[in-house]
Amino acid sequence: MVSFALHGVGVSAGVAIGRAQLISHATLEVAHYAITAKQVPAEIERFQLAVSEVQHELETLHSAMTGGDVPGEFGAFLDVHWMILNDPTLSEAPKKIIAEQHCNAEWALTQQMGVLVEQFEQIEDSYLRERKNDVVQVGERVLKRLMGRPGTLPPTKAEEQTILVAHDLSPADVIQFKHHHYGAFLTDLGGVTSHTAIVARSLNVPAVVATHNARQLIRDGELLIVDGTNHVVIVNPDRAVLSEYRLKQNELDLARQKLKRLRTKAAETIDGVRVELQANIELPDDLEQALANGATGIGLFRSEFLFLNRDGLPSEDEQFEAYRAVADGMAGKPVTIRTFDLGADKHKEGLEGLSRVAPNPALGLRAVRFCLAEPRLFLTQLRAILRASHYGNVQILIPMLASVSEIDQTLAMLAQAKETLREQGVPFNAGVAVGGMIEIPAAVLAMDAFLKRLDFLSIGTNDLIQYTLAVDRADEAVSHLYDPLHPAVMRLLSLAIGTATKAKVPIAVCGEMAGEVLLTRLLLGMGLTNFSMHPTHLLAVKQRVLQSDAGAARAVVERIRRADEPRKVLALLQKLNA
Amino acid sequence: MQIREVEITHRLGLHARACARIVQLASRFRCNVALVCRRRRASARNIVEMMLLAGAFGSTVRVETDGPDESAAMAAIVGLLHDGLGAPA
Repeated sequence: MVSFALHGVGVSAGVAIGRAQLISHATLEVAHYAITAKQVPAEIERFQLAVSEVQHELETLHSAMTGGDVPGEFGAFLDVHWMILNDPTLSEAPKKIIAEQHCNAEWALTQQMGVLVEQFEQIEDSYLRERKNDVVQVGERVLKRLMGRPGTLPPTKAEEQTILVAHDLSPADVIQFKHHHYGAFLTDLGGVTSHTAIVARSLNVPAVVATHNARQLIRDGELLIVDGTNHVVIVNPDRAVLSEYRLKQNELDLARQKLKRLRTKAAETIDGVRVELQANIELPDDLEQALANGATGIGLFRSEFLFLNRDGLPSEDEQFEAYRAVADGMAGKPVTIRTFDLGADKHKEGLEGLSRVAPNPALGLRAVRFCLAEPRLFLTQLRAILRASHYGNVQILIPMLASVSEIDQTLAMLAQAKETLREQGVPFNAGVAVGGMIEIPAAVLAMDAFLKRLDFLSIGTNDLIQYTLAVDRADEAVSHLYDPLHPAVMRLLSLAIGTATKAKVPIAVCGEMAGEVLLTRLLLGMGLTNFSMHPTHLLAVKQRVLQSDAGAARAVVERIRRADEPRKVLALLQKLNA
Repeated sequence: MQIREVEITHRLGLHARACARIVQLASRFRCNVALVCRRRRASARNIVEMMLLAGAFGSTVRVETDGPDESAAMAAIVGLLHDGLGAPA
């Protein structure tokens, strides 16, 4: 096998050595893996079962439609889909592919769909050409069924890590991959601020993105070295390179082991400033990792993740159980639950307000705006959180506030939720603290009104930077302009922390900046004493806090605040970190 | 075997629902029914093949029936094609 190197952008540092697992770039991200000859009949059966289930699904839909005042063409449309499904080109050909190529059913079907789509593409008549969508829709129905029931999981050897190679990853893909424990991520597209990058950093897994054609050049099962620090991927490394990298990996592991000893140590600077290091979590399952890394609280529970990758909305009881589990698990330490931050980059099918395409999603109906527009959904969540507040130290955090009217409306809804619980005699903490996210420059500049109405604040740096610089960090064309060290960002951050501290209202930072050790001293110098971050960064940041002098940092930060050019900010930051 | 050539008079050509109707109709006969358009051949039992025929408005399609009830099948299929393949989509 030929050894070669690929260059991209290392967006998450570290080294991983493992086998490639290719994910196709179809609308649905489809895994591709080899199966043994023995597994072929079971795989074909799994495919057939999925086809039968979709058949049943379409028939049920059809019978539900006849009778009502549904126009006849809907039925005809379903007929077409039913016939396409039963067409041997879709229902039989993939079986042959499974048998011939010894691959998983999803991959066989995706390949066959690709063949058909290609044939449709050659049709001259544009209307007839677009009928390929019918074939794709039917195929995807089957794919969804297949993926809902993974039969033979991709084979992984215990001693070898798996490296995910994809064209691009969406947030929904990524949450699925969370439980797979990939050793590294590798994508064709993306930049420093893409979802892949953010997730890789949060999982502390190396990642190289923007490789342009890794997905095509790398074959399934090939041995890879991903060096996120040096922006390089080595495919089929020779023995010398491999042993060199094994050594490097051992050194990194050793350093990580050392950090673990800091777990129970209190975070305090050299000059005696006590710092809260809290964890950001997405699901109750993340609690274990937060505690293992010594979190002194949950600074951000991203409740919208209860929504992703599921059908329908979580009920009040379901939400209550999730919130209570976390409140319980933290045993009296603060648990800050952020209300649903849906919209823009986190789509959810089935929610009417979100199914329409907003002309400018980041500036559209999302987060608290969406919740206020869907009062029933919001009330359900508020009730669930309030009920959980009886079982621990729960706080409520409202995302994306910009104006006083939004705060007042939210507080009125909360009062209403409390009232309904009181009427039903359900216990809750009547004095539950309510805080607001500071993510919009307007909130920083007009913070007085926030300070009067709210119990605490939390700065979401990712969005604050995006809205301050008008840069969509997920857009590769402009993501290089996304700069956390922009003088405007420095001034807004320092203003926000200073104003809140003066008013004696607790303020935290829960964006990515909080988990970046190179920025720890900067934030300490601004007066920040509450950091919330992905659990994997907690110990490294704690180590940094222990080695920092907040008073000394303050003097340098004062100069950073006055710096008018990013170059000067960077130079001062280097001085601070020296 | 019977062979007839028919011009597609429906504005949208052999669209998906038209294909579905042809497949449904052909399945009532025991003989083989095939359509040929610009040297591409499709079994009338196979909707995806039919869709890929891409019989556009104004193009000519050759209908072939072969089997015990080929005359009846030919009459039915040609009738459907001449009828303009049902209501305009």
